[in-house]
Amino acid sequence: MKKNEFMDLLIKELNHKKVSDSSDIADEYEQHFSFKMNDGFSEEEIAAKLGDPVQLAAQYAADDEGQLIHKGKGIKAFTVFGLSLTAFVVVLLFVLMIAWGIAMVMFSLGCMVLAAGLISGYEPLLDVVPMPSQSAIIFGIAFIALAILSAAACLYFSAFVRQLLRAYGRFHRNTMAAADGKPGLPSLALFPQLPSRGKRSLRIVSLVALLLFTVLIVVGAIISILKADSLEFWHIWNWFGK
Amino acid sequence: MNIQYKKGILELCVLSLLKRRDMYGYEVSDFLSKQIDIADGTVYPILRKLKADGLLSTYLQEGSGGPPRKYYSLTEYGRVSFEKDRKEYMLFAKAVNTLLEGDQNEKK
Repeated sequence: MKKNEFMDLLIKELNHKKVSDSSDIADEYEQHFSFKMNDGFSEEEIAAKLGDPVQLAAQYAADDEGQLIHKGKGIKAFTVFGLSLTAFVVVLLFVLMIAWGIAMVMFSLGCMVLAAGLISGYEPLLDVVPMPSQSAIIFGIAFIALAILSAAACLYFSAFVRQLLRAYGRFHRNTMAAADGKPGLPSLALFPQLPSRGKRSLRIVSLVALLLFTVLIVVGAIISILKADSLEFWHIWNWFGK
Repeated sequence: MNIQYKKGILELCVLSLLKRRDMYGYEVSDFLSKQIDIADGTVYPILRKLKADGLLSTYLQEGSGGPPRKYYSLTEYGRVSFEKDRKEYMLFAKAVNTLLEGDQNEKK
């Protein structure tokens, strides 16, 4: 008997005898065939060693009858109800998280634009917050550092949200499978599993950017104080209205 | 040998294998059919029955390439039940052995 004949006959008999999960059962025999064929056996040999498909199907049917496999439909409905409630909350949470991510991207871009304006000495900007070019350049570089810092945070945050989405998807699928009495896949980690090199460089970039931002803001402030000859240089330069 | 009788003993063999470590269906079938003269296919219905009885649980694990494999694992209930059945079977087999060997001695 060829593999196809064996499988067709088995599935036909299983369905005929109303055995539940006939596709799960068929999967086991499919795998058996592929393992044995890898070992160099012919389809006929494997089928002969497996035994008579009609008898095998009868064995499944006898087991089903013996123990009256009943899968609680009520339990499944309960699971579906619970999962949909959870999904409702979780989807809202994810929308919130994605919105937060977009806000972070905007912030990063804003920092970049501000930095470009300060460094290039863009007139309309310096009309609002007038300052000498030395201060502008140092503050500008500080904002580049802040933009890089927030971009790194965005990168990690997007990996985090993606991993959380995947983990939730896996949880959802496994819970449904469990309600059906089917096996589930191992659950996924909640935090992104970045390669250690990527993790290290992300951390170094963030730390350097943070350090640079802090140092430059302080240096910029000191220079401004010296230039304006006052601790409150922003009043001297009329930043907040004349 | 009577098929039903053999099936009961095969269940014990499957449980004993899975007590050592988790295996996927083909591993169990391959191991047993090498040790005992049975059709390769008979192990799969046994695995399914033991699972339905709550003695085994299953989980999927992604192996190297190919589709994820379905592993069978002994549940706590399966462990307890196996210990009990094993003891019963050992006593029974000992008694049967003594009896059958005695039978042979008488013939001599």
